[in-house]
Amino acid sequence: MSVAANGAGKAKAPPGLNAETFHKLSALATLALLVGVFALGNAAFFSINNGLTVLLQTSVIGLLGIGMTMVIITGGIDLSVGSVLALSGTVTGLLVKAGVPVPIGMTAGVAVGALCGLASGLIITKMRITPFVATLGMMLIARGLALQLTGAAPISQLGEAFGRLGNGALFRMVETQPNGLSKVIFPGIPYPAILLIVTALAAAYLLRRRSLGRHIYAVGSNEEAARLSGVDVVRTKIAAYVMSGALAGLAGNVLMSRLVTAQPNEGVMYELDAIAAAVIGGASLNGGVGGIAGTMIGAFIIGVLRNGLNMAGVSAFIQQIIIGVVVILAVFIDQMRNRR
Amino acid sequence: MTPPLVEMIGIEKHFGGIHAVNGVSLSLHPGEVVGVLGHNGAGKSCLMRILSGAMSPSAGEIRVGGKSASLGSPQDARSHGIETIYQTLALADHLDAAANLFLGRELRTRWGNLDDKLMLAEARKVLARLNPNFRNLGDPVSRLSGGQRQVIAIARAIYFNVKCLIMDEPTAALGPAETAMVGQLIKQLRQEGVGIFLISHDMHDVFDLCDRVVVMNRGHNVGSYRIDEVTKDDVLSLIIKGALPDDWAPRNTERLQ
Ligand SMILES: Nc1ncnc2c1ncn2[C@@H]1O[C@H](COP(=O)(O)OP(=O)(O)OP(=O)(O)O)[C@@H](O)[C@H]1O
Ligand SMILES: [Mg+2]
Repeated sequence: MSVAANGAGKAKAPPGLNAETFHKLSALATLALLVGVFALGNAAFFSINNGLTVLLQTSVIGLLGIGMTMVIITGGIDLSVGSVLALSGTVTGLLVKAGVPVPIGMTAGVAVGALCGLASGLIITKMRITPFVATLGMMLIARGLALQLTGAAPISQLGEAFGRLGNGALFRMVETQPNGLSKVIFPGIPYPAILLIVTALAAAYLLRRRSLGRHIYAVGSNEEAARLSGVDVVRTKIAAYVMSGALAGLAGNVLMSRLVTAQPNEGVMYELDAIAAAVIGGASLNGGVGGIAGTMIGAFIIGVLRNGLNMAGVSAFIQQIIIGVVVILAVFIDQMRNRR
Repeated sequence: MTPPLVEMIGIEKHFGGIHAVNGVSLSLHPGEVVGVLGHNGAGKSCLMRILSGAMSPSAGEIRVGGKSASLGSPQDARSHGIETIYQTLALADHLDAAANLFLGRELRTRWGNLDDKLMLAEARKVLARLNPNFRNLGDPVSRLSGGQRQVIAIARAIYFNVKCLIMDEPTAALGPAETAMVGQLIKQLRQEGVGIFLISHDMHDVFDLCDRVVVMNRGHNVGSYRIDEVTKDDVLSLIIKGALPDDWAPRNTERLQ
């Protein structure tokens, strides 16, 4: 294995385990603990229906988290994903409303996301603005565009086809009973979950098996060394932001399709969930460290936490406080491990 | 006579008011080892980084094989067969030895995937040539010792088809045995016709390995001599004062050029 996470310093992991595996196992244990606690507190938590809800919520965080992970590994950050999600979703909504076929509209929405990422990447590499500032600007620009395009009003009645991506499922089996009602035999695998799995596999493949992935780690690890080694640093960074933008666009389409409404106000502060997922999963904001498997676990931790707290009747405000604490704790534990 | 491997003509590098390199010209022939000496901050690394494509000169011309070349990036220099061991080593800390060795020119399978197995095998071979005790190839290089890191940087420069090798203090972190192996390596590469710029503060190594010395002082080239023309004291005088001792005459009495 060539990309070893948590490289700086000797991590204190039990013998026979490397630091990366140890981190993932502890994150998995946390996830299992959360599920256990919530299941004990509320029987409905463990139902298939709720499982699907968690899966759907997580798919949006997960898609954003995958893009965020690539950007964070390069040593950057993308604060614009929540707004780009909204812009992409509304662009798709507007196009579909105007009569454009849904697949084309959605492709265009994702392309708009990728364009936002391209703009961020160019601002960061060519104008040499720090990622924090550049994507903060993009966050305002994309949100403003989404609100301006729609007059801040949601676009509804987008038709059944628009809602299929977010609400449909593969292998769904429904039986019509003699009394005329239909009964769901197997709820199927929701499309968003399939999308998440496919994207995660593709991203993991890219990071581990392709040159671009190797360069993403190298740039975050030591940008000057990467440049001197002949890595095209500018291209690598731009690629990371474009992927982050495109995935934000995809997440926006999933979310708005689920609501069957294009909401220019959607996705506020989602960037923080995505960052939290990546960081809980072991990505380091200093760059050079991170992985898709970890981010997926992180996304599920956030998804389960939010869902479980919802079901336990904890207010949205308290939820924010809890997630804030969780993120700080995750980063703290990571630093403790790396300091020894 | 064949044209020099590389020629640097009238190279200048300014940082604001600082003249790091001031109208320096020098050349390197195949199979020649040229020592580049000078006090700290004399401009040696800047001059070499310009030849590596890592830094762009403020003025001057570079010729490779007699033809004017523009080395706008490290890739450009590498494509001309110019390889560099940087003073800073230029390693990505989170990647392992093999990943660093092949960074920027990864070996790939037919499908374009990274061929980590092959890269590891090749890395093992070339590293063993420099340090037979090199084991922890799978560790991120941040966990390796300074000497091991330096060995990786050296291995990276010689693995690919090198014609002109720039070594910026390549043995600074090495133990005596490893330093000796680098000395062996330099002699072997010279045999193979590689031209080498060796930056070193170790007078003994320089006199042992170099055919010629170029001395820099405050950004200027203050002298280029065949190694048998000068003594260590002469060179020290050049480094410190920027001039030879007043009563200097070529040691072997026949000064070239
Ligand atoms: N990026 C830079 N920006 C500004 N000044 C620089 C830069 N790089 C080098 N310098 C200046 O150029 C001068 C020459 O530096 P250089 O690194 O070439 O010295 P050197 O001869 O390699 O010294 P040493 O023996 O210590 O390695 C120094 O005065 C240094 O401060
Ligand atoms: Mg130097």
